[in-house]
Amino acid sequence: MPETDIQTITSVGIDIGTTTTQLVISRLTIENTASGTFVPHVEITDKEVIHRSQIYFTPLLDRDLINAVAVSKIVETEYLAAGLTPEKIDTGAVIITGETAKKENAKAIIDALAGYAGDFVVATAGANLEGIFAGKGSGAAAFSAQRHQVVINIDVGGGTSNFAMFHEGKAVESTCLNVGGHLIEFEAQGDRITYISEPGKIALSFSGQRLQVGERVTLPQLRPVVKAMAACVVEVLKMTRLSELTRELLMTPPLRLEFPIRKVMISGGVADYVYAAQGPANMSEVTAYGDFGPLLGWELKVCLETAGFVLEKPNETVRATVIGTGTQSVNLSGSTIHLQEKTLPLRNVMVISPFSSTIPDSAQGIAGAIRQEMTRLEINHSEGSVALAMKGPRTMSFANIEILAQGVLLGMKEYLSQNKPLILVIEADCGKVLGQCINANANRPLEMVCIDQLEVENCDYIDIGKPLMGGRVVPVVLKTLVFNR
Amino acid sequence: MAVTNNELEKVIIQSVLEELAKKGLLSNKSKEHVMSGAMLDKPLLSDNSSEEMVTFPSLDEMQISNPFNADAVKAMKKSTPARIGIGRAGARPKTMSWLRFLADHAVAQDAVFLDVSDEFLKQNNLMSVQSAVTNKDEFLTRPDLGRRLSEDAIKTVSDKCEKNIQVQILIVDGLSSSAIEANIPDLLPALMQGLKSSGIKVGAPFFVKYGRVWVQDHVATLVNSDVIVSLIGERPGLGTAESLSAYMIYRPDEKTVEADRTVISNIHKGGIPPAEAGAHLSDVIKQILAAKVSGVKFNQQK
Repeated sequence: MPETDIQTITSVGIDIGTTTTQLVISRLTIENTASGTFVPHVEITDKEVIHRSQIYFTPLLDRDLINAVAVSKIVETEYLAAGLTPEKIDTGAVIITGETAKKENAKAIIDALAGYAGDFVVATAGANLEGIFAGKGSGAAAFSAQRHQVVINIDVGGGTSNFAMFHEGKAVESTCLNVGGHLIEFEAQGDRITYISEPGKIALSFSGQRLQVGERVTLPQLRPVVKAMAACVVEVLKMTRLSELTRELLMTPPLRLEFPIRKVMISGGVADYVYAAQGPANMSEVTAYGDFGPLLGWELKVCLETAGFVLEKPNETVRATVIGTGTQSVNLSGSTIHLQEKTLPLRNVMVISPFSSTIPDSAQGIAGAIRQEMTRLEINHSEGSVALAMKGPRTMSFANIEILAQGVLLGMKEYLSQNKPLILVIEADCGKVLGQCINANANRPLEMVCIDQLEVENCDYIDIGKPLMGGRVVPVVLKTLVFNR
Repeated sequence: MAVTNNELEKVIIQSVLEELAKKGLLSNKSKEHVMSGAMLDKPLLSDNSSEEMVTFPSLDEMQISNPFNADAVKAMKKSTPARIGIGRAGARPKTMSWLRFLADHAVAQDAVFLDVSDEFLKQNNLMSVQSAVTNKDEFLTRPDLGRRLSEDAIKTVSDKCEKNIQVQILIVDGLSSSAIEANIPDLLPALMQGLKSSGIKVGAPFFVKYGRVWVQDHVATLVNSDVIVSLIGERPGLGTAESLSAYMIYRPDEKTVEADRTVISNIHKGGIPPAEAGAHLSDVIKQILAAKVSGVKFNQQK
């Protein structure tokens, strides 16, 4: 198997945040790591960032509208700088993060960009996912696996702080708080307020500061507001009972704090000021970038250390999210799967999970559960393909796999009669045999993709790429499109 | 057993003690003392057969007394079935680790010394033939005899098996009968389904008792198949006794060497699950049929 034992793919990550837009291009090495007499086991063995873009301010037409043309210009410029064309990009993801993701037109923009930026670049967004990508990019995930210690990564950007807790390399909890360095804007290197965002206003009113746009501020006036925001960040890490301000600013349910945390890593634009030797001394140092990021970073450090947390230095600060997006958004399926190559790639496949905790023990029962979910779905979606996601057959016995195959065929009868491909995503290692059973039980040849060893529990859509390594594995990108909900 | 032996035991002890007393090696007082013990109806030590089964604590339980980083130990234990992070009592293993070691060793020995049951063969509809070996001891000491069929087996295979087929599957006990009973019920139907749905002509699979890998070469010459597959129990280890291997070869002959065989190992519930392995094997067999070659040459051709 020499020709297919190693392969590289090029992946792009684009992060459009509240304040900055960045892009990285990385090369992923995919290898069969099983020895000769074992069943192949293909995994990503190396991730190398081959191009880092400049850090651009996110181009906005006005406060609520991203300038799509300008964003695509950035992408074009950076591809040129990297010496790449869109056709040379195999996979990747665009992530629209922070405040920007809430804006109504985000979907239209990423749609436009998906067409522009290579054949397999897709859109991903969502505060929780952003935090997880940031933690993977910053090195927090690797830290937790290497040191066997729970670590929490907080990506503090312009609009939000995204928390992701890692245990043995895996993200176990995440949340998002509306605290960022760009919530109040200033004249650069000046002291006059030019804009106050909604969460900025909330924080101001809670700390009793009556600041208005156009006013000039002193450092002693600004500091208590920023301290209050930093305190909210720390509260999320340690409190079971949160203050009113923190509850106001939380954008998702708080952390459950199932693991005790001591180690904290900060990434994002504000991070460099967390790890600085001293804080900003005057207003012009605070507003170097037209916001209060440097002060937030410093106050965060003070607040975390006072509360007894140990700050670990990340590998990446401001680029953590984009590097995480570019290198971590691709998952590989298991190495024994069943598929027809001509069916792929498939994009924006809706994921449905018809079985809650246990799978029914008869083919009829399985079919019933599938039909019920399909009926519920047909109200909203009559077009497009769906992927059936499940943990696996009731047991790994051949008999149970046969029952599952029959149940799937029965339950998907109507869907299959529309000549749509049958797509199955299973957690257990049985993709190949389940595909074979379905084929053997079907009375006609089916277009089918049956892949395994993937958890798609919390995602709404998946993209399945063209097979790699001589058809042994497929790349899968999991997507959560929050603004669709 | 205990009752009759007890009487006999008493008689023996009594005569020994009397003999010793006669020779002046034992005082009367100590003779009586020992006798009173021997005359008790119930043995002083409880009877082994009435003891309860020992249950082991789960494998992931922390056995190190004061771990510096318990999470690290847990993560390392998860990454391997080897006996790591088991703590110690002075320079020796803890009682539970030692008992577990002995128990796993016993399981491994059972896998080698037990036979695949007739009931299992009947349930799975497998005809059984025997290699030139006559018993387990000979099987272990004479690998050469395990590599060919007995005279009876040659006759049975020649009479009953379909000839000139594409694929013949053998189930061979090898060094683990446990591996056969644990994996074949899920592996074989998946493999047969995969081959049959591709329209491949497969002979009825049968069982070879006391067989070694090479017995497949002998069978292939009798049934004249293109590919012959042995599903054979692997030498058991202390991790698992249920691991199975599949050896496949394209048209073996007198020039055949080990490098001509394609092998997929580690088939068991903790490795590649048997049903999934069946589907994978049917793909590999199809490729071997198309390539008309197996083993290292097959890998080089791909």
